[in-house]
Amino acid sequence: MKVELQKDNYTANPFVFRKALVVNKVEEAPGIYTYFLKFDGEFKILPGQFNMLYVYGLGEVPISLSNLPIFRNGYTLLEHTVRVMGAVTKAITLGLGIGSFIGIRGPYGNGWPLKDAEGRDITIVGGGIGIAPLRPIIKYVEREREKFGRMNILLGARTPRDMPYKYELDKYGAILNTKLLLSSDTPADGWVHHVGFVTDLINNIDVNIKNSVVFVCGPEVMMRVAVKKLLGRGFRKEDIYLSLERRMRCGIGVCGTCQFGHYFVCRDGPVFRYSDIEDYLWVEGI
Amino acid sequence: MDNECYLHKAKYVMLETRLLNTGLAKKVWSCSTMNTNELCGNNCNLFVGGFKDLGTVVKLLQEDLGGVRLFGYKLHNDRIEFGEMKDFDEIPTTVADIQKPGYFRISSTGYRFRHSFSSPKAFLLPPEHSILTVSQGYEIVEDGDGEMGVVFLGIKPCDRKAMSILDGILYGKSPVYTKRRDSIKAIIVEECLEPGETCFCSAVKAGPTISSGFDIAYARLYKDTLVFKYGSSLGEKILVKAGLQKAQDSHVKAYFEMVANAISMMNSRISRVEELQKALKERIGDKSFWEKVSSNCVGCGNCNYVCPTCFCTEINDIVEEGYSKRIGMWLGCLTYTYGLVAGGHFRQELYTRYRHFVLHKFLFYPKQVGDVGCVGCGRCITWCPLGVDLRDTLNLLVEGGTR
Ligand SMILES: Cc1cc2nc3c(=O)[nH]c(=O)nc-3n(C[C@H](O)[C@H](O)[C@H](O)COP(=O)(O)OP(=O)(O)OC[C@H]3O[C@@H](n4cnc5c(N)ncnc54)[C@H](O)[C@@H]3O)c2cc1C
Ligand code: SF4
Ligand code: SF4
Ligand code: FES
Repeated sequence: MKVELQKDNYTANPFVFRKALVVNKVEEAPGIYTYFLKFDGEFKILPGQFNMLYVYGLGEVPISLSNLPIFRNGYTLLEHTVRVMGAVTKAITLGLGIGSFIGIRGPYGNGWPLKDAEGRDITIVGGGIGIAPLRPIIKYVEREREKFGRMNILLGARTPRDMPYKYELDKYGAILNTKLLLSSDTPADGWVHHVGFVTDLINNIDVNIKNSVVFVCGPEVMMRVAVKKLLGRGFRKEDIYLSLERRMRCGIGVCGTCQFGHYFVCRDGPVFRYSDIEDYLWVEGI
Repeated sequence: MDNECYLHKAKYVMLETRLLNTGLAKKVWSCSTMNTNELCGNNCNLFVGGFKDLGTVVKLLQEDLGGVRLFGYKLHNDRIEFGEMKDFDEIPTTVADIQKPGYFRISSTGYRFRHSFSSPKAFLLPPEHSILTVSQGYEIVEDGDGEMGVVFLGIKPCDRKAMSILDGILYGKSPVYTKRRDSIKAIIVEECLEPGETCFCSAVKAGPTISSGFDIAYARLYKDTLVFKYGSSLGEKILVKAGLQKAQDSHVKAYFEMVANAISMMNSRISRVEELQKALKERIGDKSFWEKVSSNCVGCGNCNYVCPTCFCTEINDIVEEGYSKRIGMWLGCLTYTYGLVAGGHFRQELYTRYRHFVLHKFLFYPKQVGDVGCVGCGRCITWCPLGVDLRDTLNLLVEGGTR
């Protein structure tokens, strides 16, 4: 136990949040909205990290960064994409319009290992709201294009209507050396892409498997199928990264409720290398 | 250091030990037959006295530290709780406890009690604690509760070790825990010479004696005969000031014999920790095993709340008079709401929650804080309304389901 007591360990209260102003709100899909939050001061946050968003009198929810942050003239502008689920997300999506305030604290979690990905091919596999935390990677690769190899982007939703960021998907496909593959679980008029699960598209990945990293986020069942398929195609365990979701109440490793095996998902994750979690991922309810 | 260990007639040697609360290495003299967590870490440097002397020791300590409050075990509604004491003589000395799986009674015959239902956790991380007060306009109204100084009086070695485990998780991270932990100015430990029926501290190296992480320790040899030892320079100073007599050979011998008896009795109650850990790794996904061992559990969470190392909390917003108070509250991993989320559940089936409790103590804490997270206090066994016995689960694990 490497704890040094009485050593100035009591610092500021980590539960204190910042007050952010909603400056824009975009409807992405039924029940999914992107919020543009503005607040004073610089705020360093990386793709794959998340914030706790607080609604007065109700509580907090962990929400991932969904675009690269902007720092300008002494303020920060962040994007968060929220899907309506229960009490807090309902209060956000229904109650929070442009001009409203919200509490925000973070950044939390480790983020995607983008430094390690430099010089290698990148595959992104996202399902549903799981696309939100992957979007900053796409934006980052676009901005720093020469640092990375080929990029394959595999995105899926239940129906074409449920797909977030529809208005900019074409732009992803137009990034240099990038292949965009879309899928919808159900057929729909005018849908020219794959019908089925997003994980089916793993067969069509066109990257150098030996020099690759894969970033996956979506429902846990989908991530398990993705891992199986990726391993089947010869990707190494160490090159597959998953962003996990657990019930989170604090975000800072003290409430204990996000435990996944011996990991605290909020602090040790949410992004895990598959090889570090293979003992747990297949155990129901671990 | 020219003397030899009284009990073992063996030479003292210089050993390096890790201090429980800081993890720092420290050199101590120890009997060459013992490991660093066992008996002779303190040179068999024992003193003898009665409860009156304990009173003197406490008073001297309070004078030395100035204005400190006492916290310890005391009788409350026919059970023993951990809480603030008016005076040192609130320590129960004329009653005994009878503990069995799902059973606790106070008896007026006897004079030893084992553990309380509430542990020092109730002080360090109160069942309900304020985290933040927020105004409707999202402004934060800080409400710090002022400085305090506290002495823990008579806590058991298992509970002392539980504090070190909690330190590993919460110290420096949880504001309420850190502040309260720092308020503890001295720790007096009561060693256990006659363990209760649900205890197994020695099997997880958490007792019944203590070798570091305390200022003064005492053990109740007989009714009003206590042997004292010190574990810090503060403790040494106070014991000397109190004018305690050196223990005689007969006391030392009786003390060590009782300790040895206690250890051998408790060690046989569960399998070796290393074996348990190996079996747990193998059984992690064995659904039918976990369903079987949890078949009597109803998921009430009592075990979590009485466990001195369980630390999980939820945060609730309570709106009052135009402010939202964010309150941290204990939350048991055995309860249904623990992993519940809108549109799903991360541990819906009860066996997965019971399994988490056991895996966390024996497999996950070692990775999180470097030591097993169960201190063998037996509280979860005593206070389970259904008498679910953690030791049965552990033993079944190693015996391969034959018991
Ligand atoms: C690291 C991480 C990143 C996430 N990123 C996003 C994102 O970018 N966009 C998005 O829409 N959703 C995201 N989620 C899921 C989102 O946090 C939940 O949908 C949300 O918390 C539901 O809260 P609620 O109040 O609506 O539901 P309720 O079930 O009524 O919630 C009550 C409380 O439970 C907790 N909770 C509920 N569901 C979850 C869950 N699935 N995961 C964790 N805690 C939960 C919250 O603390 C909430 O305050 C993320 C989850 C995690 C763990
Ligand atoms: S083991 Fe006993 S105390 Fe713990 S949740 Fe189950 S029934 Fe309750
Ligand atoms: S698991 Fe049971 S025996 Fe172990 S420390 Fe917790 S309450 Fe005590
Ligand atoms: S969310 Fe509280 S410990 Fe991870």
